[in-house]
Amino acid sequence: MKDICEQYKGVTRKKLSFVIFLAALLFGVALIALSQGASSMGFKDSVTAIFQDSGIAHAIIWKLRLPRIIMAVLVGGGLALAGTVFQAILRNPLASPYTLGIASSAGFGAVTAIIFGGSFYSEYLIAGNAFFFALLSSFFILSIAKLKSYTPETMILAGIAIMFFFSSLSSLFQYMGTVEEVHEIVFWFFGSLSKVGWKEIGVASVMILLPTPIILRWSWDFNLLAAGDESAKALGVNVTRIRMLGMVFASLITAAAISFAGVIGFVGLVAPHIARMVIGGDHWFLFPASALVGAVLVLTADTLGRTLWAPQVIPIGIVTAFIGVPFFFYLLMKKTRQYW
Amino acid sequence: MKKYFTIICITTLLFCLLVSGETVTREAMAGESISIKDAAGRSVEVSLPIKKLVVLTSDALEIIRALKAEDLVIGVYSDISRNSQFWPKLKDKPKVGNWKGLNYELVAELNPDIVLCYSQRPGRDMERKLEPFGVKVIRLDFFRLGTLEKEVAVLGRILKKEKEAMDIIAWYRKNLELIQKGLKNISDQPDVYIEGDSKYHTAGPGSGGHEMCVLAGGHNIASNLSIPYPEITPEWILMNNPNLIVKTTTKSTCGTSYSMTDAIPLKRIRDRVMARPAWENIRAVKENKVFVMANEIWTGPRAIIGTGYMAKWFYPDAFKEFDPKKLHKEYLEKFQSIKYQGVYVYPNEN
Repeated sequence: MKDICEQYKGVTRKKLSFVIFLAALLFGVALIALSQGASSMGFKDSVTAIFQDSGIAHAIIWKLRLPRIIMAVLVGGGLALAGTVFQAILRNPLASPYTLGIASSAGFGAVTAIIFGGSFYSEYLIAGNAFFFALLSSFFILSIAKLKSYTPETMILAGIAIMFFFSSLSSLFQYMGTVEEVHEIVFWFFGSLSKVGWKEIGVASVMILLPTPIILRWSWDFNLLAAGDESAKALGVNVTRIRMLGMVFASLITAAAISFAGVIGFVGLVAPHIARMVIGGDHWFLFPASALVGAVLVLTADTLGRTLWAPQVIPIGIVTAFIGVPFFFYLLMKKTRQYW
Repeated sequence: MKKYFTIICITTLLFCLLVSGETVTREAMAGESISIKDAAGRSVEVSLPIKKLVVLTSDALEIIRALKAEDLVIGVYSDISRNSQFWPKLKDKPKVGNWKGLNYELVAELNPDIVLCYSQRPGRDMERKLEPFGVKVIRLDFFRLGTLEKEVAVLGRILKKEKEAMDIIAWYRKNLELIQKGLKNISDQPDVYIEGDSKYHTAGPGSGGHEMCVLAGGHNIASNLSIPYPEITPEWILMNNPNLIVKTTTKSTCGTSYSMTDAIPLKRIRDRVMARPAWENIRAVKENKVFVMANEIWTGPRAIIGTGYMAKWFYPDAFKEFDPKKLHKEYLEKFQSIKYQGVYVYPNEN
């Protein structure tokens, strides 16, 4: 008996140390990101510039690099967390902002705002419209699911249908657009963190950080959900409620992340899997681990994207896939037993 | 048997006659046939005279109107209704498609002699699909100052409007020389940051915007980048500390410039550019040298006007007498036969 307890503690320790390792990694990457850029400031200058209160170095660190880093962490962490929730409540390894149609409806929101000259009225109209449409589609899926009593299959099918619907609407608008509009739309879909300032971070952090503690508190329920609806119900989980609220919160987070950074929803699919492959499916550890993986992934991608080919920026959506996919395959090949 | 043979012989003979008669009449109608080089550098055979035109780009349409060949246009690009004030005579013509694609059935029905479009879009299968209908595709861009004259001359030849083409070319040359003359005695080139519609997307070498900036005597800070429309980091702009910023904007962000009556939309765009995080450290922002230019006079047939504005912004003293607005007015009234109106730049020239 004692032996099993010891073993359990050992496993937990391993998981905990992975989470701590990721946190340290994130901190390290953030420091590197803070010291890299177009200006010739070295690592030491960059760190000392944090504590200055004026000058161009101060402006670069405080107004350009730091917001970018914080937004990358927020977006990456948020998308990964939301992806984990989607995969848990739908019990499907393919669930992500893409499969649920949230990414494509957000994209459609951005496209309409661009075509109808949104950026003329307000800089936030594109992001706002993307956010609105992302939420609209997830509420649509929820109401369909409610009519059909919340089975994961109906939600995924509804999501895929929504995805096709909104992507063809976006294509239609792109087809009608002028050269400049199509340019702008393509740029938006590539994703970018260049436009981020403290104001955007304020809005995004409220929408991403507020639902997070609630999701974390439900870790046990998500664990039980993995055993199937019946078993979870038998153990006292309100399956319908957790599925609905989980969907609402995860959609909110996804919508916020995508509308500010563009469609990099791929993180939401791959980061939870990377974390799960390393530490398994216990949501107590899976949530923080996958959020940290997502944050590291997006921050690394953005830092590489803006430094590899400086001063030209390789769009973040492209770099994320470039570094995420090979790593994902590496883990997939290394893993001997079935992990999902 | 003999009867059948006779019938077959007669039918064959009749068929031959019919076919040869057809070719004879076609040749007689075709008249002269010329070979031209399009914007992509390909040779295209065109039979003259051209009587009916379908035009897929506003750039080409503007040149056609300048060549006084507006009456030949029987089909236009679909978006023309967005700018109906600018195209009073053409706005109601059949809309056949846009720069990306067209409605083949409608084009076949209209049966034009040629379709005018950009060199890259729509794709090359357009030529193949239109060939059975005897419709030639002529690909001319009209958005690069460097090739504009050549393209105008080509179109002038096709439409038999050589004299009109020479008039426009002469006008371009005159004004280009005027700008070059103004730039003769300048020493310090200002560093310029150009931005398109999307935030932090600039115009590098290979783009029409870069070409204009150079012609206007500016030093584009993106001149050693490798792609035409790259996204760049805000930090890089800050480090390059440009003397001037030129932000261009398209119709979609402020309505069409021709129908615009006040400068508020352009002012708003400028205010937002100046308020970007950390940009208070940039010389251009400190010295209030941030300019907004409408897409209409940016790359395109009116690029010379945009270039004129830029030269004036770069070297206000050398170009004190030079009036780009007058240039624009002259262009619209003389070549486009419409009255001058609209707002195209901010801050205003006066």
